[in-house]
Amino acid sequence: MYLKLTDEELTDLLRKNDSVALETLFNRYYKPLCHFCAVYTKDYEAAEEIIADLFIKIWDGRSDSSILNIKNYLFTSARNLSINYNQKKKDPVDSIEDISFQNHIFEDTHTPFRILSGTESVSKILRLIDKLPERQREILLMSRIDQVDKRKISEVLGISIRTVETTLYQSIKELRRMLKDSTNLTSRG
Amino acid sequence: MEDNSYQLIIAYFEKTISDEELTELHEWLELHPNHQEQFRETMQILEASKSYFKKADEIEPTSWKLISTHIQKEEKGNIVNVGRKIHWLAYAASILIIGSMSLWWYKHASYKESTAVEYTEIINPEGQQSKILLPDSSVIYLAGGSKIKYRKNFSGNKRSVSLDGEAFFDVKHHKRPFVIQSGEISTVVLGTSFNIKAFASDHKVTVTVNSGKVGVMNTIEGKSHLVRYLTPNEQIEINTITGLYAFDATEATDVSSWIKNHFVFYDVPIHEVMSSLEHRYGVRIEFIDSGIGNTRVTAKFKNMPLNNVMDELMVLSGLTYTKKNGNIYIYRANQKGGKTMN
Repeated sequence: MYLKLTDEELTDLLRKNDSVALETLFNRYYKPLCHFCAVYTKDYEAAEEIIADLFIKIWDGRSDSSILNIKNYLFTSARNLSINYNQKKKDPVDSIEDISFQNHIFEDTHTPFRILSGTESVSKILRLIDKLPERQREILLMSRIDQVDKRKISEVLGISIRTVETTLYQSIKELRRMLKDSTNLTSRG
Repeated sequence: MEDNSYQLIIAYFEKTISDEELTELHEWLELHPNHQEQFRETMQILEASKSYFKKADEIEPTSWKLISTHIQKEEKGNIVNVGRKIHWLAYAASILIIGSMSLWWYKHASYKESTAVEYTEIINPEGQQSKILLPDSSVIYLAGGSKIKYRKNFSGNKRSVSLDGEAFFDVKHHKRPFVIQSGEISTVVLGTSFNIKAFASDHKVTVTVNSGKVGVMNTIEGKSHLVRYLTPNEQIEINTITGLYAFDATEATDVSSWIKNHFVFYDVPIHEVMSSLEHRYGVRIEFIDSGIGNTRVTAKFKNMPLNNVMDELMVLSGLTYTKKNGNIYIYRANQKGGKTMN
């Protein structure tokens, strides 16, 4: 029954000390929030911690909170907390690939694009993504997260939807250029 | 202008592309081989970006425990315990198990009558479609590789037709019910138009209604049970081995557009597309590399020759094909992404 409630209804219940409402919101947004954090922290465990702290903070402040749009609040807070985390951390991880892909198994064989490239090329693209200008990287990755659409990105980053779109296209163009450059190098080498 | 092309490719990747946009995309792809390269590279990039988060999905979320412990520490005196456990059901498309699981084939269900009755049988080889006028003025469009059989004068208290393959029915309204038998599944109407896809080798029956109301029944151990009534733009797909069925809303005119030589495929595995092409053009199509038949594509074709259809599908799927002895063989494209040899 809680599953069918809207964000507003759940926020309302939350204000009235309903912990099941909090849990529903948690389950609804947990994954996209972790992905969102990971864009900045590049570390999933850190992302999980940040989100856990965020929800605890929301619970603690539930009675005097005047949150109008909890989804925006969650994603904006997640972003801010992740950026803070990065600044505090001394040894930033260079690439998400270092942590994540050791035991990576590409299960989904239904896209020949992935098969064509092989694990190598996908890793290459992922490495290049981390080399993109920050804003292009942010927007490219965010646009791949479930439940985060252009409008949400524009609201969280405080920019226009049009800017989100053009930056997204720029990121793709830039990656295509980087890929071409890198193949040129290898064929010469 | 360039931005627009990226917008189209992204919409295609995210499977939110509209009909008009899809046409635009196809036209743009045909303009220049550079466009095809842009398409391939962009799809690769989007796919890779999506997998950026793959590892996260494998991690078991443990955070809720932390949060709930914190909440419980707080609620020490007050038992505002909402106490319910939330049972998370996996998303279920309406799937229901029909009757007993011991389904078995009634191959000759409609032929129990005495052998004195004469039947008319029409068999279309692969690649040949035909339009058939029935004794009651109903019309059947019969697809390639399909066959129907019915009593010669449509005698009896039911107008009964048996189908193995695919056909679109435009049934004239009469008091006598019109029944189509496809294995154990029968579709009953009075006067309606609908599409049935029931190739015995596919082990599934799909009924899509264009107009009127259609009843779909299942025969188990000699007794007929109603599975469901369908109204326009509704579709039911029954797996004849397991008896499981799925019910959906759909664009009925897209499903029956084959009668006008139009094909519409929305996010379907490419092997389904090839299956339709086999019936339509009468060629044998085989997938050589394993797994590639599951690639999903979205495409529409209007009165196009087979070669054009194949070329377009190859661009969309990143595969390649060769023709030998009139048969078509499909492979993964060259790894280095260079131009493929045909």
